[in-house]
Amino acid sequence: MRSLKFGELLSKEWRELLAARSYWLLLLMIGPLVGQAFIAAVKLYAEASGSGGVPAALPQGLTPLDGILAPTFGAYDLAATFFLPFVAIRLISAEKQSGALKLLLQFPGSLGTKLAAKGLVLVAGWLVTCVPGLLAIVLWKSYGGHLYAPEALNLLLGHFLRALLSVGIAVAAAAIAESAASAAIVTLGFTVGAWALDFIAAGRGGLLQQLANYTPTAALRSFEQGLLRLNTVVVMLVITVLSFALAAVWLNTGSTLRYRVLSTVAIAAVLAVGMIGAMGLRSSWDLSENRRNSFPPADEAALSQISGPLQITVILAPEDPRLTDFEQNVLRKLRRNLSRLDVHYTAASQTGLFEGSDDHYGEIWYEMRGQKIMDRSTIEPVVLEQIYKLAGVNPPAAGGTDDFPGYPLATSPRWAGSLFYGGFPLLTIFAWWFIRRERS
Amino acid sequence: MTALLTVEGVTKDFNKRRVLDDVSFSVRPGEILGLIGPNGSGKTTLFECLAGLMPANAGAIKSNNKVLVPARRKEALFYLPDGISPWAEQTVQWALGFFRKLYGRTQQDASALVEPLRLSELMKARVATLSKGERKRVLLALGLLTPQPLLMLDEPFDGLDLRQTRDVMTLLKEHVASGRTLLLSIHQLIDAGRVCDRLVLLGAGRVVGEGSLAELRAKTKLPEAGVEEIFLALT
Repeated sequence: MRSLKFGELLSKEWRELLAARSYWLLLLMIGPLVGQAFIAAVKLYAEASGSGGVPAALPQGLTPLDGILAPTFGAYDLAATFFLPFVAIRLISAEKQSGALKLLLQFPGSLGTKLAAKGLVLVAGWLVTCVPGLLAIVLWKSYGGHLYAPEALNLLLGHFLRALLSVGIAVAAAAIAESAASAAIVTLGFTVGAWALDFIAAGRGGLLQQLANYTPTAALRSFEQGLLRLNTVVVMLVITVLSFALAAVWLNTGSTLRYRVLSTVAIAAVLAVGMIGAMGLRSSWDLSENRRNSFPPADEAALSQISGPLQITVILAPEDPRLTDFEQNVLRKLRRNLSRLDVHYTAASQTGLFEGSDDHYGEIWYEMRGQKIMDRSTIEPVVLEQIYKLAGVNPPAAGGTDDFPGYPLATSPRWAGSLFYGGFPLLTIFAWWFIRRERS
Repeated sequence: MTALLTVEGVTKDFNKRRVLDDVSFSVRPGEILGLIGPNGSGKTTLFECLAGLMPANAGAIKSNNKVLVPARRKEALFYLPDGISPWAEQTVQWALGFFRKLYGRTQQDASALVEPLRLSELMKARVATLSKGERKRVLLALGLLTPQPLLMLDEPFDGLDLRQTRDVMTLLKEHVASGRTLLLSIHQLIDAGRVCDRLVLLGAGRVVGEGSLAELRAKTKLPEAGVEEIFLALT
């Protein structure tokens, strides 16, 4: 009986989703968005692979993850940021404004169950929007393109979690705000706030940077790099679940304001504890085919012998490209290998433009057990050499060359234009017309 | 007779304005109890407090002498608000089917409501396209499909013409005869006198009278008076 009722709720929410024009607009726009990104990516990839008489780039640098998948699915980041929240808001706000919420609250089952039905339907609706993305993958394979399943699936997981986060935030905003317009402003405010945090925390270190790792943009970035981090997954899921809990608190109109505020504070406390706890979850998996997030196995074995805490002090401004290199190519890998790594960023300005006269600008200090070494290089082998020296660990013998072959492919995006700009939008319009006709 | 529902001292303030002031009355099983009062007397607020959709500042709701916490009220009663337009993009047929399946009612139960409420020509229409009266009839059908012992209807005759009002009154009486209890909020005092077994008169958030028409006439010493005269005498 209970499953029957949940089935009825699911069916109702699905019908409500299909009745929402915002959802059909999302479907209508996602095809061209994905198509434009895919077509541009295939053309660029072809150019880099040496099409049209242009010399090919180094084949090792040509990975479908960077060249095709990440830019193509980037369209879903846009959709999850700007379109999906409005669909989720509509599913809550329409019931608040029409008075249906007063009936919903009296239906059998808990409010949590009813919100779960809404959440599941939104997830199902999002999966339907993934059709153009999957079509892009099929097209890429049909062109003879290479795909590495673990990194591709990891990227899909990242976008799925990103969409869940969007849904959670939007549902909570719609529950708290009086109107759909206010909920939209709250949701976009969260997005802009996350962007600001991401920007401000870059190259700053400390708690701020740790927090910034969990902004949607930063979280998605690690998936786009082929990295699956347990703490990122846990935090994204925790934020989503707690957002739904917050929505349940505020949609329960029968509770007092005092109860709602206290519950909100309790949820915020659970979130804080969850995020702090997640920082301790250091497990991560490099699922990229070219192991871009990992040192060579011999170096990883050598680093595993280092038990002491390593402190690195970087005197480089956040916008200095050397810091970006150091962060991307060295620190990201070191954080995965050294459990007791502490990085301090001590530049005095944002760009470093006016710090050139400072003799210490550009220095990188490594400190372990009271011993210090300074170097200015941000190159991986040099940095590792300094760390081995400091830790008294024998460096591994020089390994072989990188055996990642790269996958150049000079091809054109055949059929993509007609499918993404014509076929999928037409299919969407037909489905909308058919469903609407069935109901009238 | 044991009360189906007892309302004890319900008080509700909006900011510093008292909207319900120590409201107490009881609902007996198998009766149609009318909560009557002018617009702004607190009827809807009281209904929402009783249904657990709005927190009261004080008071208790009891069923069989046990306090019903807000989360459990939906087991004992169902409240059908006035002026709502739920699931505007769905058809009437879907709405009826949804309630029927949600509450495990039979197709016969739903069909039995279609004719008296004149819904057959509305079944394919979307809720958004219905007139006020049509929507009211659809909402009444939804409410009558729910299984709770007590059904609270806010302004059940609002938007209905004379013939429809008479038909709905007949339907409600049949419904009560089959074992259900109704609590109706009505601002049209003449309608209240025609359909209700007992009345609770609400004025400025306070109960100013409770009883059958005969009891209220005796209380006001107006043996020939209608509900309007009684209400005016008590407020």
